[in-house]
Amino acid sequence: MSIYGSAVKNPVTTIMLFVAVIVFGIYSLIKLPIDFYPEMEFPAIMVFTSYTGANASDVEKNISEPLESTLNTVSDLKQVTSTSRDNVSIVTLEFEYGTNLDGAANDVRDALSMVTSFLPEGAADPIVFKFSTSMMPILFYAVTADESYAGIESELEEKVVNPLNRIDGIGSISLLGVPAREVGINIDPRRMEAYNFTIEQIGAILAAENLNMPSGNIEMGEMNYPLRIQGEFSESDQIRNIVLGNFEGRTIRLKDVATVHDSIRKMSLDARVNGMPGISMMIQKQSGANTVKIARDVRKQLAELQKTLPSDVRIMKIFDTSDFITDSINNLSETLLFAFIFVVLVVIFFLGRWRATFIIILTIPISLISAFIYLKVSHNTINIISLSALSIAIGMVVDDAIVVLENISKHIERGSTPRESAIYATNEVWLAVIASTLTIVAVFFPMTMASGMTGVMFKQLGWIVTITISASAVAAITLTPMLSSKLLVLQSKVKTPGRFSHDRLILPLLNRLDDFYVRTLKWCLHHKRVVIIGVSLIFLISVLLAVVFVKSEFMPQADQGQISAEIELQAGIRVDETVKIARKIDAFIEKNIPEKDLVSTSSGSDDNAGFTALFQNSGSNIINVTIALVKVSERERSVFEIADELRNYLATIPEIVKYNVLTGDGGMAATTNTVDVEIYGYDFNQTTAVANEVAEKLKKIDGARDIQISREKSKPELRITLDQDKMSQNGLNTSMVSNMIRNRVVGLTASQFRESGNEYDIVVRFDENFRNSITDIENIAIPTASGLVRLGEIGKVDEFWSPPNVERKRRERLVTVSTVPYKVPLGEMANRIKAEISGMDVPSGVLMDVGGAYEDLTESFADLGILLLVSLILVYIVMASQFESFKMPLIIMASIPFAFTGVILALLITNSPLSIIAALGGVMLVGIVVKNAIVLIDFTNLMRDRDYELDEAITRAGRSRLRPVLMTTATTILGMLPLALSTGEGSEIWKPMGISVIGGLTFSTAVTLVIVPVIYRIVVRRAESRKHKETEELDFMEA
Amino acid sequence: MKAIMIIYNQALTEKVEYMLEKMAIRGFTRWPLVMGTGTTDGEPRMGTHTWPEMNSATLIILNDDLVDEVLEKVKKMDAINHEVGIRAFVWSVEKTV
Repeated sequence: MSIYGSAVKNPVTTIMLFVAVIVFGIYSLIKLPIDFYPEMEFPAIMVFTSYTGANASDVEKNISEPLESTLNTVSDLKQVTSTSRDNVSIVTLEFEYGTNLDGAANDVRDALSMVTSFLPEGAADPIVFKFSTSMMPILFYAVTADESYAGIESELEEKVVNPLNRIDGIGSISLLGVPAREVGINIDPRRMEAYNFTIEQIGAILAAENLNMPSGNIEMGEMNYPLRIQGEFSESDQIRNIVLGNFEGRTIRLKDVATVHDSIRKMSLDARVNGMPGISMMIQKQSGANTVKIARDVRKQLAELQKTLPSDVRIMKIFDTSDFITDSINNLSETLLFAFIFVVLVVIFFLGRWRATFIIILTIPISLISAFIYLKVSHNTINIISLSALSIAIGMVVDDAIVVLENISKHIERGSTPRESAIYATNEVWLAVIASTLTIVAVFFPMTMASGMTGVMFKQLGWIVTITISASAVAAITLTPMLSSKLLVLQSKVKTPGRFSHDRLILPLLNRLDDFYVRTLKWCLHHKRVVIIGVSLIFLISVLLAVVFVKSEFMPQADQGQISAEIELQAGIRVDETVKIARKIDAFIEKNIPEKDLVSTSSGSDDNAGFTALFQNSGSNIINVTIALVKVSERERSVFEIADELRNYLATIPEIVKYNVLTGDGGMAATTNTVDVEIYGYDFNQTTAVANEVAEKLKKIDGARDIQISREKSKPELRITLDQDKMSQNGLNTSMVSNMIRNRVVGLTASQFRESGNEYDIVVRFDENFRNSITDIENIAIPTASGLVRLGEIGKVDEFWSPPNVERKRRERLVTVSTVPYKVPLGEMANRIKAEISGMDVPSGVLMDVGGAYEDLTESFADLGILLLVSLILVYIVMASQFESFKMPLIIMASIPFAFTGVILALLITNSPLSIIAALGGVMLVGIVVKNAIVLIDFTNLMRDRDYELDEAITRAGRSRLRPVLMTTATTILGMLPLALSTGEGSEIWKPMGISVIGGLTFSTAVTLVIVPVIYRIVVRRAESRKHKETEELDFMEA
Repeated sequence: MKAIMIIYNQALTEKVEYMLEKMAIRGFTRWPLVMGTGTTDGEPRMGTHTWPEMNSATLIILNDDLVDEVLEKVKKMDAINHEVGIRAFVWSVEKTV
């Protein structure tokens, strides 16, 4: 038996099946994590290696280069880039989209294991990690303290970090800018040399003394005693009295050659929160964990933990990504609710019957809930993409049910029992329902196959709409007939309609509309040429308008209520100086940005070279400022205006060399629209000169803003050049010498001092007074077999300028000059730049190339173009088979261009740029618009087959199908309306989609209702005169 | 013995069944899906996209005295809504085995 027949005859089973779907859906909904964007695996793997104390060039030569050449052999690799800066090397491997990153990560680890042993001794083991949005910290806290500041690290570790780590889903918690305890042994080199010791020896002695050792067992009587030597230092004071050896009969202790300090490590980072010295605490979640839930748990826990901390320790939130997510999701859910209400109102308006409306509306929750099951099964999240997909679908899922219900009520009105009407009426239309579902699927399904960045965004949208629409089709041919058979009854026609009933109020209105439409249609059929020329003109004008006025952008920027600024001062400047400027900026923010909620400033760099280097630039001359603003609704200025004010202020400080003010969390929003000029070349001076020249040229180009050179200004460094001959005479080589110098300057970590379960480094190095001038360095004594040699004797120390960061791409050094086009399309800007730099005189060995985000943009728009093409072809295929005709689909598709006209007009009226999101709205329109034309053409064909004369068939079809067309269009438009009108958190992102769909659909529906019948008439008339001739030849019936 | 062929819109299936049951007519032969159109009026029932509806046909063989009653019931059924459509045709059964 047919599926609808079974559904009607087994109502209990049908209801139970749908109840099961709803139960599953609600269960999924409860369990689904909430996030802002769908998780995207950017196909990149980073290899992070720290090499403390090395400068950028050293890091490049000793770490980045060997890593690059080894990693270059990994399969599926697209490109290798690296950034080497002081202390840190970051090698980024970008893979082709669709590469299995787990496999790739294993390959990378294998490759690394081959090269690790060749890396310098001081370098830490390379860390491999995959980049994904879940890597971004979800919570950032600032911790300030007064008296307890010195001991805050262990306090926080014990009382905050460890308990928080127990929360389910927390990935890692890191403390930045922590004053770390260290036992420093500051050697006086003169004394040490006098007693004939070296740093290495002292280090070895310390390590040998600071030791606990099991030394066997002793059996005494009945007992067995383990023997243990307890040499470990129990307090740092003991270290001072360690005996180093004898000199001329005297015992030499450590305190004779050095001073021992057990205190806070010298910090080159000054972190302030709202002006107070502070530490930042960064919390990352595990991949796939629920951001909102974790943030909630952390907040709750922190409130408890706060009580256990000393009273002067305060923990404040710098940013909480969950706030923005929750607000956006709430905002969007509200939008969804409004859409639902609108759709209900539209259905009620057109049908005027409560029971029918109820049956139709019931398909909305059922099909939407099935989307949650999909999300749960595919390990996705509730995010703005999935929710906006739902609000797109909400207006479309009722269409199928409407068609089925209409036919059923027609049968009931003819006197059949509801049961039979339900079965047979569904039988009549189920194919049509499935065909129209297929056209929508034809548009949205290709999106699931999109690749790249756009793919991440569209995949979910494609699946969700495909699934909800399919679910709605299934519900329409099972649940709808079943419910109709139970709920619908024949309405007695004799009953006089009430004064304010639907029949009295709305029906006459709709009838008048029908009449008006039929009159218009008749006029158009008689003035075909005028109509065709008229609409073609409109289309052409809109294309012209689009080319001239509509700006394009990649992604709309959302007001996330957060500003981050990276400010760079003169390279090589002391941290103390940097801090002074930071204080000035703090004061400005305090005075001029009242919208601030919290200001966190850090100046200088944490010489631990931790993971933060991935998210922030650091260096003694860098100030990082993060400002969290109050909610959008509580302030008048947008984050962009405030950022602009900050920019203007920063421009007035002479000490600032460069600044970059961003408005977002640095995640997706950071995909700015830049055009990059890439300059390849080994020689720093040459490439820097070329970069400066390019930058100068760019400044002259109209519309080029924010011109930035990626290579930071050179900073002074002292370079030691060793003399090979002199070294070999003394039995030394470069590696030995460099290690020894490192031990004397950076320090040798001799051992660990253990106290109450914590370990602190014992670092042996020269006292600062003996390592702060070139002479001091030259005076460093290198021990050799034949005695001490001064560094000055085997080499010389010179002052040099070196770049603080070295970037490489395709295994070559690279400088990028980037610019943000202002009111100029990216592609246009790229062309202007190409023209400008083509005449430049470039030294040999230097290569230039234009790329950047403009590549991404063109790539994404190209992706969308292909998507549009695939959708068009699929829609054509579906329609051609539905109508069994090559021609009919073309008539129907004539309505598509006007959808784009509508989009362009809507964008112009609302003054929005054409972003990927708006363009996506355009692609979606193909399916929705075509559906209207299908309804119209299908019915016209029907009328023709029922032997109505051509014009009569067209007008009859028009009159009969006007309401269904208006109804489905109205549900879609009104479903989108809340999306287009929303103003809250995050609305900037999806608003363009709402605008473009509403604009496109309104305009194209109006045009479709006129142009499609006109074209139909022209095409069919011609075809029929031809057919007529053919049939004449076959006419054997005539006498 | 007469044969009555009732041809009706399939939406009337239940009513026809009810009639047979009430009249205690046990024997019948049914073609659940048949096509056709009326000689004078009535929409074609072709099961196509253009004419999506279908008819059913039920053949009953019964004693002469019941024929009129069946025809009367059919006529009543038709009167409910002429558009839906039901017709009955009677002819003689010459022989059976």
